[in-house]
Amino acid sequence: MNVLEMNNIKKSFNNHTLHVLQDISLNVAEGEVVAIIGPSGSGKSTLLRCATLLTEMDSGELLYLGDYAAKNDENGNSVYADKAALKKIRSHFGLVFQNFNLFPHYSVLKNLTDAQISVLGRSKEEAKQRAEVLLEKMGLADKGDAYPCQLSGGQQQRVAIARALAMDPKILFFDEPTSALDPELTGEILKVIRQLAEENMTMVIVTHEMAFARDVADRVIFMDGGVIVEQGDPQQVINHPQEERTRQFLSRFAQN
Amino acid sequence: MKKMKRFLCLALALVMTATMLIGCGKKDKQQLIVGFDAEFPPFGYLAADGTYDGFDLAMAEELCNRLGWEFKAVPIDWNSKDTELKGGNINCIWNGFTYTGREDEYTWSDPYVDNSIVIVVKADSGIKTLADLAGKTVMAQTASSAVDGIDGNEAFKNSLKEVVQLADYNTGFLELKQGTVDAVAADIGVAAYQVAQNGSDYVILEEAVSTEQYAVGFLLGNTELRDAVNTELKKMAADGTMLKIAKNYESVGLVIDNLCMLG
Amino acid sequence: MTYQTMLSLLGQGFLTTLAIFLLTLLGSLPLGLGITFCRSSKFKPLQWLTKFYISIMRGTPLMLQLIVVFFCPNLLFGIVPPTNWRFIAVILAFVINYAAYFAEIYRGGIESIPVGQYEAAEVLGYSKTQTFCKIILPQMVKRVLPSVTNEVITLVKDTSLAYAIGMVEMFTRAKQIAVAPNSPGIVTLFVAGLFYYIFNFIVAWAMERIEKRLSYYE
Repeated sequence: MNVLEMNNIKKSFNNHTLHVLQDISLNVAEGEVVAIIGPSGSGKSTLLRCATLLTEMDSGELLYLGDYAAKNDENGNSVYADKAALKKIRSHFGLVFQNFNLFPHYSVLKNLTDAQISVLGRSKEEAKQRAEVLLEKMGLADKGDAYPCQLSGGQQQRVAIARALAMDPKILFFDEPTSALDPELTGEILKVIRQLAEENMTMVIVTHEMAFARDVADRVIFMDGGVIVEQGDPQQVINHPQEERTRQFLSRFAQN
Repeated sequence: MKKMKRFLCLALALVMTATMLIGCGKKDKQQLIVGFDAEFPPFGYLAADGTYDGFDLAMAEELCNRLGWEFKAVPIDWNSKDTELKGGNINCIWNGFTYTGREDEYTWSDPYVDNSIVIVVKADSGIKTLADLAGKTVMAQTASSAVDGIDGNEAFKNSLKEVVQLADYNTGFLELKQGTVDAVAADIGVAAYQVAQNGSDYVILEEAVSTEQYAVGFLLGNTELRDAVNTELKKMAADGTMLKIAKNYESVGLVIDNLCMLG
Repeated sequence: MTYQTMLSLLGQGFLTTLAIFLLTLLGSLPLGLGITFCRSSKFKPLQWLTKFYISIMRGTPLMLQLIVVFFCPNLLFGIVPPTNWRFIAVILAFVINYAAYFAEIYRGGIESIPVGQYEAAEVLGYSKTQTFCKIILPQMVKRVLPSVTNEVITLVKDTSLAYAIGMVEMFTRAKQIAVAPNSPGIVTLFVAGLFYYIFNFIVAWAMERIEKRLSYYE
């Protein structure tokens, strides 16, 4: 069964004048790592926001583990499931933001435990145990009492990843997780994601790191102008693109 | 945290004490709720023990004692006296309240004090008559009979540069002291009190701006309360109570000769 | 009248000032939050009504509001005021006035919180109430504290406006003492000023302590 299923997603802004997503479909199987690349404005972030219920789509279906988050009515407009159903669906996925979005007034440990306790209803001890295991894994075992502002960007992003993992999601989304970081700090984040891939975590990663996408992903999707232009095996898409637009995009990258 | 709690407890206790100080009374008995300006000696002022005192208040309290009424003195902002009366927060104004010129605005008792509006100047100012004030600035209390007195004496008013209206006489005398006004127009009682307090710094001009009378004012139409108060007031004048009370206030500027009800 | 008497009389007035101050804060700080919610309500008429209310509170003198609150129930509707109405009216007028100011301060604070905080909370599964209470409110409090401190200090001084409806708080009391027979006179006003200054000094100190306690993060 696919963890994520998105069928014929359409989304436009500015009173239907700006079509950001034009009939996009995306299935992600369990354990699969999908990298989405493309120029800015291509719709990849919007796709991620639709998948994580932060943006409402105009049309199309969204399913997690076979459960509908949204389906089309007779006019082809997306209708979302009720509050309780969406709450359950939200527990299936996690999202790592470009800007981390840690809670600045909570310590690192509380960032990791609070949602476990107040959303999942775990006990304090259980939540703390889970958090400590994850901090250890992220190499931040000694930072539990620190506040986000006391950490480097790379450390903050690792806390953000741990915060998402603490909720035990079935699938984890990354929205350009290294874009806000200094170049020398991106490595530590990519290393963590690579490790998660090895543990068969299902992931969808929007990224500009081509080499990383090629190495870590099972499938690369190239988006442009609100459509999927090309997708497939990473080696194939990145080293031997079939489409002209993909080639142009990648050549611009090679020059940079 | 413990400190915080202690602070909160203390704060709460203070609030409760304060609320009690402001407190309330029962409403069974007939009440005489006297509105007065607590900055208007010798008729109404704050005494050293923190209670309100003054000739008018003492008279009102004695009157209540004699009638078995409940007496309540409410200090008010003089500007709001009409609204306080209409709103029922007070039921009479008994505080050197000028009757002359306001005959139709309130229901009045018989007048009990002959008052005149006089001018106070600095002793060394060289001002001797009203005519000397031509082109000068005179202070009077806002909405007071001093303003009415000046308004009624048109020739005098037109000769002045300006009439400055302030909320209380205390500020007026401060202005006089520092020279921002040249003279203060006030009721004779107030003027006498200030001169008494400040020794030889000030003098009262012999020539008065106007003469008038004080009476107790009630809400227009409230003749029932007026009649009850008036009858007892006249009795107090006749049996010597008024004179006895007045003597206590001579030292703070009350002029017994002006008590017209004594005859 | 001795200085000691003057001080004890002023002290009585100070208790009233303190009562007005504390009760106003007790009422207006939470009420302001409620008004902020109404102000940003999706129900338009409520939003307009709140906007109108705030503009009246900020656009007219507090002294006028005191007079209106105190006198209007009787003059317009013939309601007989309860015994303690003078004091209640003072508190009521101050609370509704300050709540309007606090509401606008809170709104600024809430709007300054990055949208990413809401999104992070939403993705983690927090409910709207949880998001507000656990994520937004604590951050908002820290951000608005300096502005709130300003208002609180202004409130200490504004309490003296209560004289307009005959409330004998410290300043009115000081003016009464100043004209009382054989009183220390004008000095009383300066002593009252000292009371206000010390009170505000303590208030500022307390607010600074709270700010420090909240400065564990940036």
